[in-house]
Amino acid sequence: MLLLIRRDFAVLGLALLCTQPSHAQVDTARAAQFIQSAGDELVAAINNPGLNAAARQERVASILRRSVDVETVGRFVLGRFWRVATPAEQQDYLRLFEASLIRNLAGRFGEYQGVRFSLGRSQSRTEDDALVSTIVTRPGSNPFNLDWRVTESSGQPKIVDLIAEGTSLRLTQRSEYASVIQRGGGQVAALLSAMRAQSAR
Amino acid sequence: MLRPLPAIHFFAIAALVSLLAGCATPPPASDPEALAEYRATNDPAEPFNRAMFDVHQAIDSAILRPINIAYRWLPSPVRNSVSSVLSNIRTPVVLLNDMLQGEPVRAGDTLGRFFINTTLGLGGFFDVAETHFGVPVHYEDFGQTLATFGVGEGPFLFVPILGPINLRDLAGQGVDTAAQPLTWFGQGLTVNILSGVRAGAVVLDNRDYYFDVIDDMNRTSLDPYAALRNARRQARAAAIANRDAVGHQPPSR
Repeated sequence: MLLLIRRDFAVLGLALLCTQPSHAQVDTARAAQFIQSAGDELVAAINNPGLNAAARQERVASILRRSVDVETVGRFVLGRFWRVATPAEQQDYLRLFEASLIRNLAGRFGEYQGVRFSLGRSQSRTEDDALVSTIVTRPGSNPFNLDWRVTESSGQPKIVDLIAEGTSLRLTQRSEYASVIQRGGGQVAALLSAMRAQSAR
Repeated sequence: MLRPLPAIHFFAIAALVSLLAGCATPPPASDPEALAEYRATNDPAEPFNRAMFDVHQAIDSAILRPINIAYRWLPSPVRNSVSSVLSNIRTPVVLLNDMLQGEPVRAGDTLGRFFINTTLGLGGFFDVAETHFGVPVHYEDFGQTLATFGVGEGPFLFVPILGPINLRDLAGQGVDTAAQPLTWFGQGLTVNILSGVRAGAVVLDNRDYYFDVIDDMNRTSLDPYAALRNARRQARAAAIANRDAVGHQPPSR
């Protein structure tokens, strides 16, 4: 019996050793602070009565460009097709991806007039990023959970994913892009032309 | 005697019967990554499902969205009351599934909410259980119960009006409908009308909850079908693990 318990402790100790993050550790408190200040900036821009819709979206876009690790997200979203793409396609893709990500997010956030947010209770950490949970409220709508995935791979905290009520934006988008490529005969070029067509709209 | 099936179930059965009509071709074994993705997507009837999605989109833009826009003229407290009443009516189903999943605390929440909202909340019109007692609504359904029993999701299906759903959850909805209080009252014109009104209100309440998300998806997505399929799977995984929703989220469709 005692032997068994001892062995359990040994296993526990080993498990603890193994879970010590070895690289690019993200401090959850720092990540939460980062989201608090980026969120405050976004809310101030969205609710600024002195701005018209276009100016508001431009301000939101510039905050996002600073706070989101666009390249990391873009590579993640392209997934296994990143390796298939030629260097020229990769360049093209990242440029189109940045434009569409910022445009879509700024468009979405820009409409959230009267929005407020508060940091949630649970802040957790995975191997190389932190998950900061927030609760977003806006007048006339029900509050919802929005989690922000934050990494520090570039030395500074940056956003790499948004998870609304358990649904990750980057996972959804990866699946969407894979489907466009697959339906386009497995060609990354099919995705690029769809992205180009959309940005021209 | 069999009760007449609501329109939604007619669609569901039609979808199942027609499943044989169109099947996707799996990628060759020489491309393991594509094959893994095909398995994870779990959509063997994709061509048929996409056709059903197009039908749904046509119905949505011609009928559902205009009705939803009209509905939004009602102030949000009124619409919230509709949600509250629908969720109160759903209590027995949620309670049953809370218990089947071995969640006594959540079952207690569900039961407590029902008594508070039916009495102090004037028949469910006001969610006082949340606003005054701090017990927010949560949903469970038999599809989630089956998942906690270890039942796999089965192939993905797209059913017009009902939306994206897998075979397990579709079967679960059948069980939930049978467990629903209106079913207990037997049949008759009044019960059928009430069931129809309730089914319609559930569709509208859900459509309204996702109004901005749907508009946004239709505007920005390069492949709304694929995006919806993936988002739905993630949302269900969160619901099964009880990671979903602070406050209001409508029952699964």
